[in-house]
Amino acid sequence: MSNQSENTTHFGFKTVQEDTKADLVADVFHSVAAKYDVMNDVLSMGVHRVWKRFTIDCSGIRKGQKVLDLAGGTGDLTAKFSRIVGQTGQVTLADINDSMLKVGRSKLRDLGIVGNVSYVQANAEELPFPDNHFDLITIAFGLRNVTDKDKALASMYRVLKPGGRLLVLEFSKPLYKPLSKFYDFYSFNVLPKLGKLIANDSESYQYLAESIRMHPCQETLKEMMNSANFEGSEYFNLSGGIVALHRGYKY
Amino acid sequence: MPLDKLVCGFLETTVNKLQQLDSSALQRRKQLNGTIIGVALKEINKPLYFVISTQQIDILSEYEGQADCFIRLNISALKELQNNHQLTHLIKTEQLEVEGDIQIVQRFARLLTEMDIDWEEHLSVIIGDILAHKLYYEFKQCRKNASLQIKKIEKQSGEYITEELKIAPGPLEVVYFCEQVNDIKKQVDALEKRLQQGFASSNKLTRNIR
Repeated sequence: MSNQSENTTHFGFKTVQEDTKADLVADVFHSVAAKYDVMNDVLSMGVHRVWKRFTIDCSGIRKGQKVLDLAGGTGDLTAKFSRIVGQTGQVTLADINDSMLKVGRSKLRDLGIVGNVSYVQANAEELPFPDNHFDLITIAFGLRNVTDKDKALASMYRVLKPGGRLLVLEFSKPLYKPLSKFYDFYSFNVLPKLGKLIANDSESYQYLAESIRMHPCQETLKEMMNSANFEGSEYFNLSGGIVALHRGYKY
Repeated sequence: MPLDKLVCGFLETTVNKLQQLDSSALQRRKQLNGTIIGVALKEINKPLYFVISTQQIDILSEYEGQADCFIRLNISALKELQNNHQLTHLIKTEQLEVEGDIQIVQRFARLLTEMDIDWEEHLSVIIGDILAHKLYYEFKQCRKNASLQIKKIEKQSGEYITEELKIAPGPLEVVYFCEQVNDIKKQVDALEKRLQQGFASSNKLTRNIR
């Protein structure tokens, strides 16, 4: 009995076996990949663009650098990074889910972004890259879905160059009580209905709301980054703490 | 902090929408492909960075690397950027400071100001040829009238201030005043010289007496 509880993890509010979580998450994203961008705009009322813009401003990215966009999904950040690093730089879009990767790749190609972008299907816990390889790693709305977050952070630390930085953009705990009340109502009552209406899939969005609640809060995540050896870790609350951007350096 | 992200976002969307409407913009963006240009208004002192690629123009509010070219200018100089011949004049009068290649600035100014957008054509797709032509014609008339009116108002208010209220001098009065000032300056200079000569000779005298 005790042995079993050691090997379980959370999938939204449900408790599942550790080795099945990845598949369950994969099912969610296979199901939403096609409508992912539309849903992002609708559900966040467009604010996700401001969050991503903030992430890019905090990245300190320059021409000719190497970027890893982990769990990059449909490549919003990759597109921007690709233009900033230019032809001498390199952007790697990695996602564990091949449906999302395919959607991302066809979208970026349609935008004319080719040449300095490569696509890799990879698990964040075991990144298939050499040590000290990237100047910047971003993971936007992805860490939540990773089964073993400490392992993933350690893996990111390994592939990051000394002097490089990690940016984690993720849902977090709202700072104010009234906002929190409204946010709970929105995510458990409105969000799944919208998901049903637009993507014909309410369960995936139910999972989204639940997984946000299970994700560690600002301070906990900062502690996790510190224990993965990241230095100068800090976080910025965005939209009253609904989303937080964590930044850590490897020296 | 989030406000300037919002401003950047709106600016970027607007600029790119306009660029898409202009069929020749792609050619001009190609010339600047991969350059990063920093622009700061002297009044606000908040630099914006324009990342230009063949796909679009990205506007960042922060960039930690070295931009290919950095421009600092007054808001009033923005309007005159349109005219490429004015650039050297703007630099001379210190309304515009450039660090980096001046040619990039010229191309960049051309990219943003010489947008050749056929509004009538784009409008006709939505509301039909006739209405588009009518609307566009009316708009042109309005603009013409407005610019005439503005010129008239400028002239009238200028005259009102100098002639009726007499709170500001007219141009001839200013010239006359400046001439008077110059005359006085000359006289003072002459007086100073004579005084110095006087001192010098009196010094000589006292030395001789001793």
